Amino acid sequence: MDLLAHLRYFHVVAEEQHFGRAATRLRLAQPSLSQRIQRLEREFGVRLFDRGRGGAVLTPAGQLVLAQSESVLDAADRLRSVVERLQDGEAGTLRAAVPAHLGGAAVAALLTAFQERSPGGELDLRELTTAEQTAELAAGTLDAGIVRHPCLATGLSFGPMLHQPLGVLLREDDPLAARPEVDLRALTGRGLAMPPRANSPALHDETLTAGARHGFTPTAIRIVEGLEFTRALIRSGADLVALIPDPPPEPGTTWRPLAGRPLSWRTSTAWRAGHDGPAVRVFAEAADLALRVHSGMFAAPAERPRAARPEMEFAL
Amino acid sequence: MSEAVPPSGTAVRRAVPRINAAFADAGVTGRLHALDIDTGASVSVAATHLTPTSSLHKVCLLATLYREAAAGRLDRTRQIDIPAAERTPGLSGLAVMRDAVRMSLRDLATLVVAVSDSAAADVLWREVGFDAVNRTMAELGLTDTIAVHDMAAIREALRAHPDLTDPAALADISILNPARTNRSTARQMAELFAAVWREEVCAGEPAEELRALLGLQAWTHRMASGFPFDDVRVSGKTATLPTLRHEAGVVEYPDGGRYAVAVFTRAASAAAILPAADAVIGTAARIAVDALRSV
Repeated sequence: MDLLAHLRYFHVVAEEQHFGRAATRLRLAQPSLSQRIQRLEREFGVRLFDRGRGGAVLTPAGQLVLAQSESVLDAADRLRSVVERLQDGEAGTLRAAVPAHLGGAAVAALLTAFQERSPGGELDLRELTTAEQTAELAAGTLDAGIVRHPCLATGLSFGPMLHQPLGVLLREDDPLAARPEVDLRALTGRGLAMPPRANSPALHDETLTAGARHGFTPTAIRIVEGLEFTRALIRSGADLVALIPDPPPEPGTTWRPLAGRPLSWRTSTAWRAGHDGPAVRVFAEAADLALRVHSGMFAAPAERPRAARPEMEFAL
Repeated sequence: MSEAVPPSGTAVRRAVPRINAAFADAGVTGRLHALDIDTGASVSVAATHLTPTSSLHKVCLLATLYREAAAGRLDRTRQIDIPAAERTPGLSGLAVMRDAVRMSLRDLATLVVAVSDSAAADVLWREVGFDAVNRTMAELGLTDTIAVHDMAAIREALRAHPDLTDPAALADISILNPARTNRSTARQMAELFAAVWREEVCAGEPAEELRALLGLQAWTHRMASGFPFDDVRVSGKTATLPTLRHEAGVVEYPDGGRYAVAVFTRAASAAAILPAADAVIGTAARIAVDALRSV
């Protein structure tokens, strides 16, 4: 059995929650898709979906397999890109990465701006978490990236810091979705969908602390990776929300800005200190432009005031 | 003034079971009173039960010191000679220092807040007196807030019970019985802090000095742990006795919102170090403050 291929079929069914729709998307006959999923279920010895008239709903075991297999598929993609690079001989290629949730428009603008500034230069762009990027930058397998802050800065240099306001992703029929903007305090009593803390521990903690500062302490944290799965979870449960930048619209969920812009993701370009060759500088310029124009990012606002406390151990 | 409109009754009602759940999860029973200093809106959990105050009564002492000073009946800059002998033993401040010092009343007050210095507190108890402190609390309407002895007497009472880990023995300790020791309620301790911030204890420059002083406490494992925000100021004073952990204080947000909070806890365990019981004071305080700031 081609495990990777079967896992990809499984992911599509999980996203569509429907064998017919998934089969259409995969351009397969529905019976053939059903057989492949059954094959995977036999292989794992667990049932992955509850099949009903309404569609295919992940079983608890299916949810676990989905979460775990995501990293398997990501690793397979990375392996393929490494192999392709070896085949290409890496000539003139800048190895770069972007984080999730940057938005298709920003990534497209980045690619265009890079090509305009560097005719003939190749950009090998991957989607990596900040932790993966800092590790690969240090290891020398990545030349430049776009990282979310706070991130571990040892050995790295950064471009200008840009802010991207976060809003709240709600179920379409949520009463709060009727408002033009949402006060964080109005989310009291809700759970929060967040990526695994290990992706960027400092950002995870900072998001929770900033939420608490503005009156929102989630009742529970639901760990979920990827925008599609986040949307699916929010659609399936009224008490779950996510705090993310404005995503591409999709029926079922609604994004609303937060009143007073209390939360933002800080983003900048990054490269290994002392390794800012011409291609890296072109990437940094192109990225800065693309992020400002297409991701709604803006330069850092003034620092908030600080209340001095003895535990700080130094006077302000 | 706070930008927040007065909280809905619903938010406050919903906070109470969450506060009790947090107390239960930390292995304590708790009492809490939180009030918006400007609107008077409040959250209460068993807030009128008499409870031993221990070191929290130092706040009553300092409030009286500043009220007497503001009224011209006492000079808070007066220097006191404090010989090395005859100091109340303790674990911080002058109580652990070895040599004679000369210090003003207000600098003694600083040590009392910063490190809960019991030796410095007892010097002030002698200078200010129980009658003046109890009278001041009565004038402020805090009639359940009563001092009957100083920190040396509390220490003596504890020393009479060598086994502080035995629950049966603990039940007999006089200073854990609010009828026989310094006492108050969560509500009145929060109201005392509110009175200091509203300038009802004293006004003007002495009041500013007193509020600044109450922001100097060095430890942050209790109330302040619930507000780990760079722009939020937490002032307060802790109190600790076997199984009892308290803190009362004021939380100030940069939008002008200010909240007086008192949290009293009693742990099931007699262990001296209980990080969860310390931290739940901050957790409970923040649930209450969030409810007062709710939309």
